[in-house]
Amino acid sequence: MKGFLIGIGILLAAMAQVTVAPLFPVAGAVPEFVVLALVLLVAFSSPRPVMIGTPIAALAYGFLSDRAPALLLLGYLPLLPLGYFLEESRVPVNHYLRAAAMMTITGLWLRTLLAFGAMTAGADAAFGVLVTDVLVPGFFLDLALLTVAYIPLRLIGWTGQGMTLERTGYYARL
Amino acid sequence: MVGLALMLAVMTEVGLLSPFQGLFLRVSAPFERVLTGIFSPVASVLSDAGELNDLQDENAQLRIENEALRNRITDLEQAEQRVRELEEALGITSGAGEGTREVANIVHRDNSAFTNVVTIDIGANKGLVPGMVVLSSQGTLIGTVTRVVGDLSFVRLITDSRSKVSATVEATGAEGIVQGSPDRTLSLGLAQGEIRVGDTLVTAGLGGNFPRGIPIGEVKEISGTSQDLFKDVTVEPRVRISTVDTVLVDTSFVPQSFLGAE
Repeated sequence: MKGFLIGIGILLAAMAQVTVAPLFPVAGAVPEFVVLALVLLVAFSSPRPVMIGTPIAALAYGFLSDRAPALLLLGYLPLLPLGYFLEESRVPVNHYLRAAAMMTITGLWLRTLLAFGAMTAGADAAFGVLVTDVLVPGFFLDLALLTVAYIPLRLIGWTGQGMTLERTGYYARL
Repeated sequence: MVGLALMLAVMTEVGLLSPFQGLFLRVSAPFERVLTGIFSPVASVLSDAGELNDLQDENAQLRIENEALRNRITDLEQAEQRVRELEEALGITSGAGEGTREVANIVHRDNSAFTNVVTIDIGANKGLVPGMVVLSSQGTLIGTVTRVVGDLSFVRLITDSRSKVSATVEATGAEGIVQGSPDRTLSLGLAQGEIRVGDTLVTAGLGGNFPRGIPIGEVKEISGTSQDLFKDVTVEPRVRISTVDTVLVDTSFVPQSFLGAE
């Protein structure tokens, strides 16, 4: 049942990406609901469903937007390694900041990758515009979006979970 | 995950995912309509609240333009009547009328970095093929059909960074290439010839990708020095593309490049 709900949540996020996100643009960036859904899944569930959810999200969003699902999958790729790195690197940051870092860094990576994809398909190589109109507004948009979604979930009693597969029992240290 | 991405890339390239995409688009369409129905009014209210002063100014400007256009229509109607009379007198018959146009609704949009694509609710069922030209309800150029999946089609808007349209200034015949940009505005690149602010740009028809004479927009701003080989020309689309819900697809025109591929 939990897996089914997670699947529905990811599909809804992909649909929101092509229906709701374009309604709230900030400069050249739009909210990344799919990344948000995956980050919240890592933060409040465990990385295991994210391993299955990420390809589903890439496929669903790819189908809806006619983008290459492979490119989207590569765009969502940094999520789990980032979670692992932030948790294991002993950087003194709390759970919210770890989630925020995952959200913003994955958002930056995804937008850069999609822009490069467009550039290889014929768009002008406008790197300055990419930074000023897309990446910088996108960074703050991601941060705001995560804050708006994360804090109410903590307030209603959801507890932050470990972000590494090891801590959630999927992987045993040799 | 990288291996899976490679596998997906191969599957997309050979078209294995297309049937699943058609099915998914069909199943998800009702849910998307619900989401759009809920959030569109919210976005509209927020947008209007933030632009109240601009909208009031624009409204005043539009009233003046409306009056000028009504007067222009009257003049044109008189000219049309005169042409008809002269044609009758000389025994000339008019050329072909407007092409066949199919009405479509925008189902969803994908506006992210460097990309501005919409999905419309007609496809193979109405005879759409890639390359067909998409217009606003008043006939302004909106974009082109890039892919048809079942009864839906993906349309790349002219504000997409990858879109390039050969254009000409209606009044002076100056030419250039209208292209989209990451912030979803239009510019006239490689512009040569006499161009003034307020000039109307129409498709030039060069290259065979667009019919000649479709309105695109007006020149909004020209910048650059007299030494510049090409001026920076900003173009204001005649229609507010981000708020268009209904479009027309010109099914009578298929670009030469696509005809050759068939």
